[in-house]
Amino acid sequence: METQKIDYKNIFYPPGGILIWIVIFLELITFGIAIVALALFSKDDPEGFHASRLLLNPTFGAINTIFLLTSGYFMATSLKHFKTNNRSKASLFLKLTILGGLFFITLKSIEYYQKIEHGLDMDYSTFFNFYWLLTGFHVVHVLVGIVILIILYFGINKKESKTELEDFEASTAFWHMCDLIWLLLFPMLYLIL
Amino acid sequence: MKDKNTLTILILFVLTIASAVVSNLGANWNWLVFILMGLSALKFILVVFEFMEIKKANSFWKFLTVSYVLTIVLTVVLIL
Repeated sequence: METQKIDYKNIFYPPGGILIWIVIFLELITFGIAIVALALFSKDDPEGFHASRLLLNPTFGAINTIFLLTSGYFMATSLKHFKTNNRSKASLFLKLTILGGLFFITLKSIEYYQKIEHGLDMDYSTFFNFYWLLTGFHVVHVLVGIVILIILYFGINKKESKTELEDFEASTAFWHMCDLIWLLLFPMLYLIL
Repeated sequence: MKDKNTLTILILFVLTIASAVVSNLGANWNWLVFILMGLSALKFILVVFEFMEIKKANSFWKFLTVSYVLTIVLTVVLIL
């Protein structure tokens, strides 16, 4: 089987291409600023933030972390198979990746439903303002990621597929970016404050 | 490589469980923040280097990703 090669050591060709990495850094910086703002606001009202934080269920957060990490593992495995032109296995692991993302969205929806049912909306407290904005924007990224993966899935399963390695790597990088954001949000929102 | 990915996900699971355990220990507040954010930084670096394959990229990208996560984590630790 033929293996596709890219010179990753070239500064302009990180895995996925430089454009997706510019997007990733813009997203990470945006979420990073919001996380620092959350920490600063919590200093003004530590008791209020702590009381609000205790209204979250860390088990939901931990299970969602496992879902995203597992999904990321499947994505990395799918990429590995794509690189060796094993399209059937790449396709299988891509499906599992999408499934992991859907599990994440499902659990998040249950969590959101419970919060709304108990009146814990954006106006409830400053903490919940941050909670809804940060997790909401993250969910939007996961949804966009799922759409990208579905397009990729159909792309690689076409008879005469035009999906290049860089397209696959860029989609992979976007999906992992969702993991990265969550890895920073999870302790801040569910465990620390 | 398959083993490397499998090993990575196992370490990530262990670190996630460790975060949950540590948060329930009732440790000193400053240490708790430091440990939990440190574990997050470790997971972040593992995902970036192994799953996103930045370990194969130019050192510039390695420096940028590690600098980013350390800046965020240290800023949060210093604020809290």
